[in-house]
Amino acid sequence: MQPILRINLTTGTTEEFIIPKEWERDFLGGASLGARILYPFLTKELDPFSPESPLLFLNGPLSGTSGPTTGRFVICGKSPATNLWAESNIGGFWGPELRKAGYDGLWITGKSPSPVFLWIEEGRLEVRNAASVWGKDVYETQEIVKEEIGVKRARVAVIGEAGERGVLYSSICCDNGRMAGRTGLGAVMGSKNLKAIAVYGTKKIIVAHEERYAALRSESNRTLKQSNETRYFHDVGTAGMANFFEYMGSMPSKYYHQGAFPNVDNISGAKMAESILVGFYACQGCVIACGRVVKLDDGAKRKGPEWETIAGFGPNLLIDDLAEITRLGELCDRYGMDTISAANTIGLAVHLFELGKLTKQDTGGLELTWGNFMAVRQLIHMIARREGIGELLSRGSRQFGAAFDAEDEAVQVNGLEVAYHDPRGVSGMALSYATSPRGACHNQSDYFMVELGHIEERIGITYFDRHAQAEKAANVARHQDWRTVSNALVMCIFATIDPNEQVNLINAACDYEWTLEDMMRSGERAWNLKRAINNRMGLTRANDKLPKALLAPYQEGGSAGFVPDLKSMLSAYYESRGWDLETGKPSKNKLLELGLLDIASDLAVNYSSSKTGS
Amino acid sequence: MAIFPSKEWLNGLEEKINSDERYAEVAKNWEGDLFFHIESEGNLKEDLTFYLDLWHGKCRKVEFKPDASAYPKPAFTLTASYNNITAILTGKLNPMTAMMTMKLKVSGSMGYMMRNVPTVLDFVRVAGEATEEIL
Repeated sequence: MQPILRINLTTGTTEEFIIPKEWERDFLGGASLGARILYPFLTKELDPFSPESPLLFLNGPLSGTSGPTTGRFVICGKSPATNLWAESNIGGFWGPELRKAGYDGLWITGKSPSPVFLWIEEGRLEVRNAASVWGKDVYETQEIVKEEIGVKRARVAVIGEAGERGVLYSSICCDNGRMAGRTGLGAVMGSKNLKAIAVYGTKKIIVAHEERYAALRSESNRTLKQSNETRYFHDVGTAGMANFFEYMGSMPSKYYHQGAFPNVDNISGAKMAESILVGFYACQGCVIACGRVVKLDDGAKRKGPEWETIAGFGPNLLIDDLAEITRLGELCDRYGMDTISAANTIGLAVHLFELGKLTKQDTGGLELTWGNFMAVRQLIHMIARREGIGELLSRGSRQFGAAFDAEDEAVQVNGLEVAYHDPRGVSGMALSYATSPRGACHNQSDYFMVELGHIEERIGITYFDRHAQAEKAANVARHQDWRTVSNALVMCIFATIDPNEQVNLINAACDYEWTLEDMMRSGERAWNLKRAINNRMGLTRANDKLPKALLAPYQEGGSAGFVPDLKSMLSAYYESRGWDLETGKPSKNKLLELGLLDIASDLAVNYSSSKTGS
Repeated sequence: MAIFPSKEWLNGLEEKINSDERYAEVAKNWEGDLFFHIESEGNLKEDLTFYLDLWHGKCRKVEFKPDASAYPKPAFTLTASYNNITAILTGKLNPMTAMMTMKLKVSGSMGYMMRNVPTVLDFVRVAGEATEEIL
């Protein structure tokens, strides 16, 4: 891979960081490599908003190569929402453009004394005044920045007002609403007074064996384009499965307290396709094009919502108006806020309002009733500006719940709000949420897709009943390892490609001779490394839990009466991982087996059980 | 009940669909005909086709071994190898797994299919119950 450009915004100094070859070989790239690079810097004491806090933008070895869904990059650091490992990957065109500009990563520390944006053109860096765009939304900012640098074909990663103001679930956006939404890294960027990063380059992206790679990627894209999953992601988007999710009781409604949503037809991807859809959007080199372009009553074309936004602002709040859900999602996007966490935290507010723990006095007169989208709209404005009740909501559901003596009502894990795939409908998600290195994340293992039938027997990911319990723990772990590979490459998890093709692409691009097992081992290595990072930042077995709501059975719907037995699932999971059953830490033997000698020594010496109190 | 695949099996399936109350309720909104193409494998020595016209919880027509030209625009064309289709019918292969792993190729509106997953699953249940034996 190409060098990473280190930029200190306090001093204005830069230097090139050459990625050690053995790190590339052991961790591939993307989030896995990011974890290796940042390991020494992510300490328990580090304030994510301090100048020392790193913000690492990183490509993978396939980024921008027009391989299957490889137009992505990842952003890593320490999350202000969870105070744990943060990673968030994102599509669009920015990552490939950075590659063409001569870098495979940007490693940003420090804090500028005033708002700035970075302009990287063909390897040259300029730090520019961002006064003209501070306070602007993510779309306006991209356009103004391009105007100021005079390069319309540049790609710009930006934060919105939420990131400037430190909303703990601020996102980083590029292109047409592509969002690195989770873990609040937009707020870390804002804390550095960094509004945007524009990149442009013309350098050829090189892989080790060009002809071999070209043939492989063509074949892989051709196969991908023909798959059933690609066709429904394209035709009806990620919300195409809404009816199926509802049928299984895995679509949470009424803030995870209602197991059925009879009006699901009104908010499904099929409904969108039949009503407001006017076009599609694809990230760089992607043959799926799951992005939606919709047109509402005002006649303007805009980004259409994907599943998480629809579920969050729809069933979660008992709203069944697709146009209104689209507007709420757009509002969050413009402010630069993660829609999963925003909708979840607002859902908690409505839930507490119903319980009487939150009153009109607290909300400034707003009636937080179910389905009241006007109130939700108002709350989004207040959160982004941190005004009134919005100030508390901007801290996420864990802190918001705690402020009203109801932290246990918050549907979150370790400070990250649960996504919209209910483990009562698809039990494997219990482990996905409880053990994810970044809180309740559905992308570290989208195990719900395995529960629906997307198995991968070639790498040992097989089918278990959706309500099976501890017996599926090893399968979940295996799936996490595979997704860790995807997040290292950085490849979209919607790409249903044969793992053999994946390893062939890696070998052709990187000049390796990996087997499938080598590839899976790379994922396992990085999963354990991220766990170790979190251990050194204070995470113990006690953190591997689910919120109260997810452990109470639904009374209705396709998963009525079922709750995951997390305790037995976790024990089986630790055993399959080779982790200590008491502390939940990777055992020394496991770390050594994975070649993580220095990490094993560090955990043993500096972060023993007694020291962390686990 | 009859041996799959046979004309008797298909007729039995038609009868089963038209008498199954649960299917009638689940599939009451379904509108779409299915053209199946089974690829030869194992005990099936040559490719096989069969056709079902499903409408509002009932089966209006079936045809065994039709020529594809007889039904140029079915709502869905479903293609699978013999071993995979029999695995689905006998419950050894989850139909959604078959779709997602391309063991069952689907041509037609994926949006409509995904919106009607309960109908799809119940159709597979009925087909399984109409199958006494596999060739």
